[in-house]
Amino acid sequence: MKYDITLLLPALIPSWNFFDVIVPSPRIQFSLLNKENKVVKDWSEFRPRPTHVSVWKMLGRMFWNPDWNESLYLMSCAERLIDYPTQHSEDEIFRRIKADVVENKENNFPVDIAKVKFRLVFIRREGKQLKEEVRFESQVRSIINEYVDDD
Amino acid sequence: MTIELAIRLTEIIMGFAFAQQSLEHLRSSSDDRMIFIPRLLLSVLLVVGFYSVWVIGLLMILGLVMLNRYQGPYNGGADRMSLLILFCLCIASFSPDKNWQELTFGYLSVQLILSYFISGWVKLVNPQWRNGQALLDVFRFSAYPVSESLRGWVKYPRVLLFVSWAIISFELIFPLALLSSTSLMIALLIAACFHLSNAFIFGLNRFFWIWIAAYPSILWFQQRIFVTI
Repeated sequence: MKYDITLLLPALIPSWNFFDVIVPSPRIQFSLLNKENKVVKDWSEFRPRPTHVSVWKMLGRMFWNPDWNESLYLMSCAERLIDYPTQHSEDEIFRRIKADVVENKENNFPVDIAKVKFRLVFIRREGKQLKEEVRFESQVRSIINEYVDDD
Repeated sequence: MTIELAIRLTEIIMGFAFAQQSLEHLRSSSDDRMIFIPRLLLSVLLVVGFYSVWVIGLLMILGLVMLNRYQGPYNGGADRMSLLILFCLCIASFSPDKNWQELTFGYLSVQLILSYFISGWVKLVNPQWRNGQALLDVFRFSAYPVSESLRGWVKYPRVLLFVSWAIISFELIFPLALLSSTSLMIALLIAACFHLSNAFIFGLNRFFWIWIAAYPSILWFQQRIFVTI
């Protein structure tokens, strides 16, 4: 109950400080492994944004935008994993990666995949250069079962 | 605008916004569908005005369930505004006293004003926003642009500097729009266009619909305060 009130209060007394500071931005990358824990697909960005989105598609997304909204939620989970790590945030990211792999949304997956892991890469600007920093790497998990598979 | 009309319009627009959000979740896991199928049905009932008081109460309970399910908001500010409007509607609906209704809707409209003013203020005090660097960074490396081609805007720093100051200026002067109903209508139109562009460029469609849902409260508030004065 106390936890629920802690979650509710920022909505009832909001801070409204949108985009006050442009903080390092997370990207989720995942890697696929076989049963022997050998990497069969190296780090790849999870749900990379398309090169171009037409204005008509943007208009359509005013009414139907589930994938993008889910990606924004996963960005929140990624930020939470760094700021105040919980199993929930890690599970939420794993669940979506697993769903995409199982549903074969991503192309060209090797056939012998059995396990998955992900990492969080944060991009920030230093002077005029962009820097990338890996700030979290998950345990390996089975792609079939949800249980943690320590190696 | 009467308080009753403002409440009803808020219910209709929020019902539509919630229905849109809920539809997007129907492809999710079965656990999520247990939340969003009832939410969709309740949203439709809210739009048609069927037992609105109880529907709002149930939507508030579902809102708390969602907060728990996602350990916070699913869509940041859009979900927080959803809960704020829902909470204010809840108080207004269950309160038999018109003064309470006015107090709650007054609170909602003040929060709407602050949502623009404070957003402008925190940008104004940040030198990175004042020199255009912050907006350049949003396009250059943030997770928000919906396509890689949109990152090409970093080639136009002067345009982004102008846009930065246009956003800061508009957000800061927004409260002055309350001085007349005409200026308020114009300001809300500009604000809606701002949210629409954010929805197109950054995919923040939920912000657009839910912020619009709070507009009837400020239209009522402006008339209530300035006509009384």
